[in-house]
Amino acid sequence: MDPLLRAHGLTRRFGPGCPACLESTGARAGTNRCPHCGSVWACRDVSLELHREEALGIVGESGSGKSTLVRMLHFDGEPGSGFFELGRIPALEGVPDLYPEGSPWSRNLLSLDRFRQRKVRDAAMGIVYQHPHLGLRMGVSAGGNIAERLLSAGWRSIGEMRGRAADLLERTEIPTERMDEPPRNFSGGMQQRVQIAKALSGDPPLLLLDEVTTGLDLSVQARVLDLVRALREELRLSMVVVSHDLGVIRLLCQRTLVMKNGQVVEAGLTDQILQDPQHAYTQLLVASQLQ
Amino acid sequence: MQALEWIARGVPHRETYAFLDNGAKKDVRRALLKAVAIPGYQVPYGSREMPLARGWGTGGIQITLSLLLPEDRVKVIDQGCDGSVNAVNIKKFYERVGGVAVTTDVSEATLVQTRHRIPEERMTDRQILVLQVPYPEALREVEPSEAATRRMHAEADYARMWLHLYEDIVRHGEIRISYRYPCTVNGRFIMDPSPIPRWDVPKLHMADTLFLFGAGRERRLYAVPPHTRVEPLEFDDHRFRVEDFSGKSCARCGATEVYLDEILQPDGSSLHFCSDTGHCDKRMS
Repeated sequence: MDPLLRAHGLTRRFGPGCPACLESTGARAGTNRCPHCGSVWACRDVSLELHREEALGIVGESGSGKSTLVRMLHFDGEPGSGFFELGRIPALEGVPDLYPEGSPWSRNLLSLDRFRQRKVRDAAMGIVYQHPHLGLRMGVSAGGNIAERLLSAGWRSIGEMRGRAADLLERTEIPTERMDEPPRNFSGGMQQRVQIAKALSGDPPLLLLDEVTTGLDLSVQARVLDLVRALREELRLSMVVVSHDLGVIRLLCQRTLVMKNGQVVEAGLTDQILQDPQHAYTQLLVASQLQ
Repeated sequence: MQALEWIARGVPHRETYAFLDNGAKKDVRRALLKAVAIPGYQVPYGSREMPLARGWGTGGIQITLSLLLPEDRVKVIDQGCDGSVNAVNIKKFYERVGGVAVTTDVSEATLVQTRHRIPEERMTDRQILVLQVPYPEALREVEPSEAATRRMHAEADYARMWLHLYEDIVRHGEIRISYRYPCTVNGRFIMDPSPIPRWDVPKLHMADTLFLFGAGRERRLYAVPPHTRVEPLEFDDHRFRVEDFSGKSCARCGATEVYLDEILQPDGSSLHFCSDTGHCDKRMS
């Protein structure tokens, strides 16, 4: 197995922090908010590893820190602390001084300047958010949304960008004649598929999915999941899949992390976790899901 | 090097020469040096009160005043015209506070201050053109937040500006920006060239002249040093183009290949005249 991504000690705290935080928060304490200083530990000391062409699931209840985790990987919002490194990827060879001489791993991406973080993000990652309005500009045409990613990567030909956008929209089953319409005219499922097209526009090896099917009705969920699966095979993507829906995780992911109150409480093969959950919280999660 | 020499030239000692006190001039000149060093970068400075409302050219006036020497010969243009009220009053102001001579002939001037036009006559390396700027932020069209546009400049994150042009082309078949056309300066910053028509944008590219831009209300100034690349944003398959005046000429001096104003006549027809009156006068004399 060829590793693509490794991270450890990922932490994001909102608030001042205090000496009592460590004991008073986390899965054991049953909260991520410190009762002494009021700090919220959205994500605490999380480690993960992702292999090439593997899908890693992250499950947990709402507020468990799974979205925070995936957004840290995408450099969204306030920087947190920890180590996050990517293996050598051809798309990233152009980013200046990213890989130390002879090292198979990049520098710690969380401590890079924002300019290079954006380069890494544009070249290596795509993200699909739960709410399409986070990932799409609703006033800009669907084709323009895809073009934005391409423009950021230095494309300067309208014809080529439109060709690429049409190609991606076709793959994600959006009629290409609606390419110049803004996504706000589209249904929720279509918006989600435009988001996927946008995320894939730069041919990223890594796709981050943050609750992609939440809020869609069941038949649309199934179509979106089928699409993601097909694209994963076709484009040989590696994925981090965040969901509170164990069905989605079971369908897409080989390995899974279970999070609670900002910490990872259990990690392992998806089947193993679903068949034989060890942690009390995972047992609860599985039991409540399978009824 | 010449650009730096110009800005670094000595300030007369009398405190009140050219209206601004020496402290203010130092502030402006320091900002100008930084602006020349980082072409296209907007340098903040402490914009002073002028005997003119902000937004009426106070940015340009402060730059001119901080550079003015008694031996200077100044030309002031308002949208191509030497004779508009604003241009005449600013000129009178310089005569009074600086004791400088004024002219309408570009080639005679050492300092030219302008609002929204660049003279037709190519300027030399012994001249400075000061442009008045109402909105220095080229990205304001796509991003209302100042904090966000500064971050975008810092990271050269210009995809949204390009997207704005892409959408224009998709919706209307061409880029609709007629003035304030965004340009990339020295391959780095996207700059607002002030509301000059597209016609004037190519004059900024690899010019012999130092261009200084001042926005008094917004408290920013920036510069294009001589021999600097200034490239209007364009796509490989949608090139930047200037206004088309083919087949038209100035009804007064007969000039072609100049920026023309269309003047409607009482009978509904229209005549075209040079927008640059100094250039037109020179051709007539």
